[in-house]
Amino acid sequence: MPAQANANVIALQLEKVRDKVPLLYERDDILLTMIQQRGDVEKVSSRNMRLPLQVNPGGKAGSYNADGGDLGRGSGTAYDVAQVSPIFFRFAIEITKLVEYATTGRERAIENAAKREVANGMKQFRSFLDKLMQTAGNGVLGTINSIASTTFTMAVPSGAALVYVGQTVQVYDTTLTTNRGTCNVTAADPINAQTITVDAVPGGTVATDVLVHDGLSGAQPVSLFGIKYHQNTATTGTWLNLNRATYPVQLQTPRVNAGNAALTPSNVRLAINKVRKSLGINHVSKLIAYMAVEQEHAWENLGITVSQIIKEGGSGDGNDLDLLFSGRKTMSGVPIKSSVNADQTRVDFLDLSHWGRAVLKDVDFYEVNGNTVFPIYGASGGLAASYIFYFDTAFQVWDDSPRTGAFIDTLARPTGY
Amino acid sequence: MISVQRETHDTPETIARSLQLAGGINRFREPNYRAVWGWNRLAWIGGKFQERDPATGSLLREVVELRQEPKYPAVNRWHIEKWLPPETYGSPRAWWAQTTEAEGGRSIPALGPYPARGEYELCFTLEGPRGEFVQLTPTVAEHIARAIEWSRRHPRSAGKRALYDREQRQERSYDAYAYDILDDAVPAFHRQPFVAVA
Repeated sequence: MPAQANANVIALQLEKVRDKVPLLYERDDILLTMIQQRGDVEKVSSRNMRLPLQVNPGGKAGSYNADGGDLGRGSGTAYDVAQVSPIFFRFAIEITKLVEYATTGRERAIENAAKREVANGMKQFRSFLDKLMQTAGNGVLGTINSIASTTFTMAVPSGAALVYVGQTVQVYDTTLTTNRGTCNVTAADPINAQTITVDAVPGGTVATDVLVHDGLSGAQPVSLFGIKYHQNTATTGTWLNLNRATYPVQLQTPRVNAGNAALTPSNVRLAINKVRKSLGINHVSKLIAYMAVEQEHAWENLGITVSQIIKEGGSGDGNDLDLLFSGRKTMSGVPIKSSVNADQTRVDFLDLSHWGRAVLKDVDFYEVNGNTVFPIYGASGGLAASYIFYFDTAFQVWDDSPRTGAFIDTLARPTGY
Repeated sequence: MISVQRETHDTPETIARSLQLAGGINRFREPNYRAVWGWNRLAWIGGKFQERDPATGSLLREVVELRQEPKYPAVNRWHIEKWLPPETYGSPRAWWAQTTEAEGGRSIPALGPYPARGEYELCFTLEGPRGEFVQLTPTVAEHIARAIEWSRRHPRSAGKRALYDREQRQERSYDAYAYDILDDAVPAFHRQPFVAVA
């Protein structure tokens, strides 16, 4: 009987936790997983999912002469079809041979190593996908403002917030046409300096170039359709395969331009009122105000809300306000959802009942013939001292009514950031 | 059948008094804090309104006008508001520049006239953890006003740090959740009893 290989043990441990992987992924604490897989949409195949949209109302209203007058002709509602096709994403995790040496003969230790890598890997995968949710659908994670040796100073918004240390990124020119090559992030400061340090700068990289995530190729790459793809005022280009120029009003999300000034209550009221005027005065109960922590701080700085300091003043979560009331922080009555990944100069009002995820493959281990753990081969063709496993998923995010949201952009960040 | 379309309530005198004691008065000798019922709190909204069929959601008509409508989405709840001075809203010129919308060849002030005497803004909506109604009492109102005033005395850096601390706590909460889930999948000692049971 052959000796038990470590890979078999690791694979065994992964199989034991396999049915828990969706739980780890779908936890409802980041924007991506707040957007539900919609029950009213069938799980999609590799073909495009179709979303019928009512783009223009029908019927002809008017007065008429009842004394033999002509009542005129009518018209019908105009529909068009938006289309979504899923994108495949993967997250690769390697365990080195050292794990085996450190855990030989101790199955519990191997179990712990596998669990640790599953937990950490899933956290990072969720975070990566949530960062993509902040983008405009082209995979751009940031724009280079200046270069000093191997350090990029990134332009705000986004800054260095959408990458993580160890991530492989690609440098594209500003028109997303020329791929200059890949590099690995070795350091990132998303809070103060907004710098990203990489191992080696691809040849030809210049300021104004952009960083995109690994795996994209060709000109004008397509990635996850994030907030800035759907909540957009563009009247050219495409949106879910529809020509924006054909529906310049219907596909525009109401916008408030803050003009690089600090957030004020009037910005917020303008944005919320745009939704109310469009949907009806009492139809904003489903909105959430999605923003970066920096803008939540700007709202706190106005001194009209119960600040985080007060909420932490009691014993843990159970302070008086939470016991008596919802304790929910709102922005003019709209619940706040903040994120460290969100654009630091923007507040988005989202009606998530209009958002959904078209899923082709639920998140799981990547599997080939029942195997989920694979050996790594060295440059010589021989085995390398590592094993690899992957999480993968295929989905796309859609919003069937861009006009039901609103956003405030070009906001100043509060001082101290 | 009588259908109540709009329920209004005036703020009890005792509560107004409690809030004035807790939050003081502004430069116009008006209270810094006040409690209002959602349906009583109206504000200007100007622009093009799309009126829709409640049943189908289809567009019925578009009207360009300036209206007074409830300021907050929760109309059947009590709200605590705080007065903000006019300078919070910028200069009148900036106000008009930012809030004037052009609709159908007309210029409409989307938020009405400039708040020359300042404006009251929402601090807190009284409702329970599941959104249920919570009655306004002097103690509740005073508590909120004092909590906000107390937090205003903290340096902004402390507020910023508290928000980042919260984010880090959420990270740790996910870690703990993940390990709990995985421990549940692969329990310690593979469900073998820790001690032999006779």
